[in-house]
Amino acid sequence: MSPEMPTGFFPPELLRILFTVICAIVIVFGNAVVMGYLERKLAGRFQRRPGPMEVGWHGILQLAVDGVKLVGKQLMVPKQTDKVLYRLAPIISFAPAIMPMVVIPFAPNLQGRDFDIGLIFILAVVAINVLAILIAGWSSNNKYSLLGAMRSVAQNVAYEIPMLLTLLSVILVTNTFSLRGIVEAQSGGAWFIFFMPVAFLIFFAATLAETNRAPFDLPEAESELTAGFMTEFSGMGFSLFFMAEYTYMFIACSLTTILFLGGWSGPPLPYGEYTSALWFFAKVYSLLLVMIWIRWTFPRVRFDQLLNFCWKYLVPFSLVHLLVTAVVVKL
Amino acid sequence: MTTIAEQGEHRYVLNMGPQHPSTHGVLRVILEMEGEYVMDPQPVLGYGHRMHEKMAESRPWPNFLPNAARMDYLSALIYNHGYVGVVERLAGIEATPRAEYIRVITSELNRLQSHLLWLGVLVLDLGAFTPIMYTFEDREKILDILEDVTGSRLTYCYMRVGGVVRDIDDKFVEGTREFIKWQRSRMPMYDKLVTGNIIFRKRIEQIGEFSPDLARRYGLTGPVLRGTGIPYDIRRAEPYSVYPEFDFEIPTETTGDCMAAYLVRVREIEQSLRILEQALDKLPDGPAMAKVPKKLKLPAGDACYAVESPRGELVYHLTGDGSDTPYRMKIRVPSFSNLSLLPELCRGMLLSDLCACMGSLDLVIPEIDR
Amino acid sequence: MESKDSVIAAFKQVPIKVQEVDFAQRGYHLEIMLEPGQLRDFAQLLRTGNFYLSFISGLHLATGIDVSYQFANYAFPCRLLAHVSVDADNSLPTIADIFHGANWHERETKDFYGVIFRDHPNLKPLLLAEDMEDLKPLLKKEPALKDRAAITRVEKIAEDKPAPAVKKEEA
Repeated sequence: MSPEMPTGFFPPELLRILFTVICAIVIVFGNAVVMGYLERKLAGRFQRRPGPMEVGWHGILQLAVDGVKLVGKQLMVPKQTDKVLYRLAPIISFAPAIMPMVVIPFAPNLQGRDFDIGLIFILAVVAINVLAILIAGWSSNNKYSLLGAMRSVAQNVAYEIPMLLTLLSVILVTNTFSLRGIVEAQSGGAWFIFFMPVAFLIFFAATLAETNRAPFDLPEAESELTAGFMTEFSGMGFSLFFMAEYTYMFIACSLTTILFLGGWSGPPLPYGEYTSALWFFAKVYSLLLVMIWIRWTFPRVRFDQLLNFCWKYLVPFSLVHLLVTAVVVKL
Repeated sequence: MTTIAEQGEHRYVLNMGPQHPSTHGVLRVILEMEGEYVMDPQPVLGYGHRMHEKMAESRPWPNFLPNAARMDYLSALIYNHGYVGVVERLAGIEATPRAEYIRVITSELNRLQSHLLWLGVLVLDLGAFTPIMYTFEDREKILDILEDVTGSRLTYCYMRVGGVVRDIDDKFVEGTREFIKWQRSRMPMYDKLVTGNIIFRKRIEQIGEFSPDLARRYGLTGPVLRGTGIPYDIRRAEPYSVYPEFDFEIPTETTGDCMAAYLVRVREIEQSLRILEQALDKLPDGPAMAKVPKKLKLPAGDACYAVESPRGELVYHLTGDGSDTPYRMKIRVPSFSNLSLLPELCRGMLLSDLCACMGSLDLVIPEIDR
Repeated sequence: MESKDSVIAAFKQVPIKVQEVDFAQRGYHLEIMLEPGQLRDFAQLLRTGNFYLSFISGLHLATGIDVSYQFANYAFPCRLLAHVSVDADNSLPTIADIFHGANWHERETKDFYGVIFRDHPNLKPLLLAEDMEDLKPLLKKEPALKDRAAITRVEKIAEDKPAPAVKKEEA
């Protein structure tokens, strides 16, 4: 998929687009399946139980069976909902989740399209999810849903700021918004996590909040809000939100990998232009494991604590970090 | 009580329950909210109401024994204990010493499993899923031990007037001793995983202002009361059964918040283990059932029997009229009084804190509804 | 009030009819017969004496409904049970403003016996459904109704046991 791809009978541009879209969708669904299985299996392990064991070897087909069940469910639209928005919300949440796959550089030669503003593109597309959650909460006509949606908006808006500020620190060093450029700037093991560990921690905490993961899973908060904005959704609507959540986690961890962990860089492999995607995925899934680990260990924070944590700690720290980085770069 | 009309349009009503993950049963709380703040929580009871008191009046007293287990399903043996206690007190019967010890041992095991379940559920209310699985692992061991001797796992009907229905055997004693060792080895883990967790502490410290005065006004009892610094435990204050023979502490805290209630309960687990140890050591030989007349009539008169349930003071007040059917039986359940302070306690709180408060009160709804 | 004796002394000053009973046989220390008019003063006295309300319950007798109040104290063992016969119009003054916990206990008694507690802030059904207000499940039908003598302890049980120190004191 590199720009130097040999031309054939088809217009190469069309082939590339087709191929990229298929790959993106495969990654999204594959990731949802892998994450669904991993999460349940690991949750089981953390809780001293085997997790799913019945369907297939060690429950490996559990997700497929669950998928069939969810797809087979009747599409329920409760009365008194805003029916159009209610059906639209899961789609609005899920559709943008596929798009960032196009710009993520999995390996030197595995990238759909390298934008100059790849980073901004991802952040812009991902931000649409907040809108979807707000629409879901509003259209459900359920107070729990609405509370969950409102929490989600406040949380996402707040945590976007430290996320962007830490991101800017990286940009100051690399001088490019191109994801490929950022990865190449870290070649040779000069990963940014070694130079700015604080930024890495702030960014990772912010991504936890952005993806509504525990301990910042307030929009769902099932012990308070039953299921938050997802309360009224079942079947496909629910599974789209479910897949979207895992995809956003994947995107968030990919971004962290690209920005701080050197993307695809690692010990050289044969056919490195393609196979170094292995390093990329290894890093991404390690981060995802940490996310799962955190979720099954910590209680949920309270809403005011969540916002306090952001405005009183993350934002000032990331601002200072940005300042220090700017000064260091200038020197 | 404030109404929405008085407060203008920015208030809304959130109906929490009867089916809700945090109400632990069919409790409904009507919350008047302003944003995320709860301005007026009003519990609505009665979804699990079965009129146990009427049932007690309409059948011979032995037939009420199974009912006693079905009010608080988490401390059925302690309810058993209270019921046989009140009948014995009214009829002037004494259980055998061995039976009294067995009652204490099984009651304390029951208290332990109730506290363990509560520990998991409180943390679950705060959003951590894992500890409840660990406490269930411990609890499962207790249930296995009790199942061997009582025949059931939740709604025990084990105690009889004059003693207990089946004597315990060596397997039970060994199993309990092993469990004590196991549970002691687990407590440091809970300490690290739950008590020391910064998010957990921030969530329940300084939440809920329980004070001795509030307790007196509402009749609060149990671990939440002991969290306000009052060392009031029926096992000490009005000793029943063979509790005076054991050396145990009444844990108290002084802060009167949810954290205090939490710490008291966790420390009570250790005290229950201590009682178990001593009771197993001192367990006397002899019959587990006293000679009781086949057809025992309740004499005229009344008697109270108060026991310490895991949630507080449980009182049976039995009035007999010379027949075998009670004339009146009043059951004072701890959760009823403990829940009644919710509107005052939680006014102006965040919704999340309300969940933490209800979790600390350790409510069992079928007990409240009776 | 710091001991059972001081409680008895305080009651005698009002005066309230109080009788010490054998705890081993009855499970409480003091039995009290109240006039409806004394109820609020009695509750006020216990409130200042740092008692807490354990429960309120009813008892349907041939002569009418009796309401019993049980109080106990955190500081010293003193469980007391007070009986009050309801007024002719089946009502009693509320003590929900003195002991806030009485609010629910009184609502429960209203559910089960139909006793009206005057000036109660919110006497709606608590355990029963809203449309069950006339059910009054604990009221007894005629043949089952007994008078107080039939449910009062005959002290002959004391013969085969060492005599309990029951002393009757008329105020």
